[in-house]
Amino acid sequence: MVPKPTFSEEIGSLLHAAHSNPLKTCIQCGTCSGTCPVAKFMDHSPRRVIAMINAGLKDRVLNSNTFWYCASCYYCTVRCPRGIDIAGLMYALKRYSIWKNRYQEGLVGPVFSETFVKTIMKSGRSYEPVLATSYLFTFGVPEFLQEAQTATNLMLKGRIPVLPPRIKRLENFRRMVRRIIPIGGAS
Amino acid sequence: MSQQKKLLIIDDDPDFVEGLKSILVAAKYSVDAAHNPKDGFQALQSKHYDLLLLDIMMGRGAEGIMLARKLNKDPKLREIPVLIITGIREQIAFLFPGQAVHPHFMPIDELVEKPVEPKLLLDKVSELLQRAQARKAQVK
Amino acid sequence: MKTYAYFPGCSLEKMALSYHQSAIETTRMLGVELKELEDWNCCGATAYFHVDELLAHTLCARNLAMAEQEHLDVVAPCSGCYKNLYFARADLGRDPDLAEHINYALEEDNLHFTGSSAVRHLMEVFVDDVGLEELKTKVTQPLDGLRVAPYYGCQILRPRKNHEDVEQPRFFEDLLTAIGAVPVEYALRLRCCGGALILTSRRSALSLVRNLLQSAVESGAAVIATACPLCQVNLECYQKQVSQEFGTEFSIPVVYFTQLVGLAFGIPPKSLGIGSELVSTRDVLSYAAK
Repeated sequence: MVPKPTFSEEIGSLLHAAHSNPLKTCIQCGTCSGTCPVAKFMDHSPRRVIAMINAGLKDRVLNSNTFWYCASCYYCTVRCPRGIDIAGLMYALKRYSIWKNRYQEGLVGPVFSETFVKTIMKSGRSYEPVLATSYLFTFGVPEFLQEAQTATNLMLKGRIPVLPPRIKRLENFRRMVRRIIPIGGAS
Repeated sequence: MSQQKKLLIIDDDPDFVEGLKSILVAAKYSVDAAHNPKDGFQALQSKHYDLLLLDIMMGRGAEGIMLARKLNKDPKLREIPVLIITGIREQIAFLFPGQAVHPHFMPIDELVEKPVEPKLLLDKVSELLQRAQARKAQVK
Repeated sequence: MKTYAYFPGCSLEKMALSYHQSAIETTRMLGVELKELEDWNCCGATAYFHVDELLAHTLCARNLAMAEQEHLDVVAPCSGCYKNLYFARADLGRDPDLAEHINYALEEDNLHFTGSSAVRHLMEVFVDDVGLEELKTKVTQPLDGLRVAPYYGCQILRPRKNHEDVEQPRFFEDLLTAIGAVPVEYALRLRCCGGALILTSRRSALSLVRNLLQSAVESGAAVIATACPLCQVNLECYQKQVSQEFGTEFSIPVVYFTQLVGLAFGIPPKSLGIGSELVSTRDVLSYAAK
């Protein structure tokens, strides 16, 4: 009988490395944190998050902004001396927190991701004006005005699309998606 | 008195697995668990099970579906009745509004959504086991 | 004439139209045809990996399967699209169960993925497929003395695709040298521009952009060259916001490498989409029109 998995094993499974949890091989050298361009804005550095996962501090990990601040630059991944795909780990944590609907209050990342995914489901391609609705509401007045100014300038230069783009075989596309995710009224 | 039935749970949520297990064990089933699709598939290959309880969102995504389709291609494993237990509607409801859709991949399968009432769970399990037995008798 | 299946990606439809225009114009002069994939869909960006990786791979596989039907290799000008398409092909190639499952979904669009089409970044087409010697033969207006900061960014390099040097790459510098420009050395050429964090974690991204601009300007660059629409937008369109946030005064043009190559080829600036930027490129143009 298998024992109840630890938090580290749970996250390891998300990485699809079920038979050897790569997080357990971390030597805490800190190369990832030293390399990470966003580390100083994170509640906990990548190295620390791995230590926290291995220590089973589930709530503290899930309540942190760390993985939602990962920019996917993959510098940590190419440098990790143990070959851990740390950026991949950050993706796994994002998935985990979306599926469980548990993330730090006020984060824009999850809302933006959800809006993006929905936009592509609708039309097959991305459309900036719709995406903007997911983050603009979090802005204060000065940021909002700056953003509006930039958007206006881009529009004047013809760089903002007026109409949302749409792929042609959209119905096929949607049925294709439903074969991967069985939800939403398909039969 | 028939032989004790062996069930396998494949689900990545350790707390949910514990809950399911306690209900099923109390009802005198023998229960094993795997916490990811890889281990689950290995368990199915190495040991005989009478029924599989399968989660959908695991690992990289909706891997439960991928696993069910793989089992269905195996002439032996496709005979296992499968109870899909999913929280997909809560997990990614923002993707599509609407209910989880029963994909019907296996000869005998059924879908219920989390959270599952213990009584419904036990009813479904025994119903699926009976259907599997009936199918076996038919083939013979 | 070599033909590729061209995957422009969502940004090049409008926000980075100038990248699209300059890519088409410059490759044509090199005897390369970029044939746009007929009904391409979004590559999934980063957001799809936050929900379901199988779905993210499916989105890419649809594009790859369409290119396979035409028996063409795929070329992506956006580093994000390139990375997603590249690894979708690699992951499906080493996991037959995954490929089988995704092909089952592709049936709905009468497509099938086999992995027969390779995935290239647009810059690889210039540097490796055409080659810099060949490229030099088309240069009629070398950008002599133009000091350019080559900005690699992330996903064109990382994660490591196969053999390339991810710590000390030189291909961008070599390309700039081939068109007569002077690549400047600066510390942050491989660092992240913040990507989508500009929308989701604004302060952190603005600080990354600020550091990059500072590093490029201090090295004496007159212009920054990029190979990715997201990098271009972050570095160019947010200069004003960086200045407001940090009290700096940056005003350095940020162009696509294809625009510089086009100028060196003698292509009229307007055909390269020059004129749609927020920071003036007047000084850059003075090097081309001698």
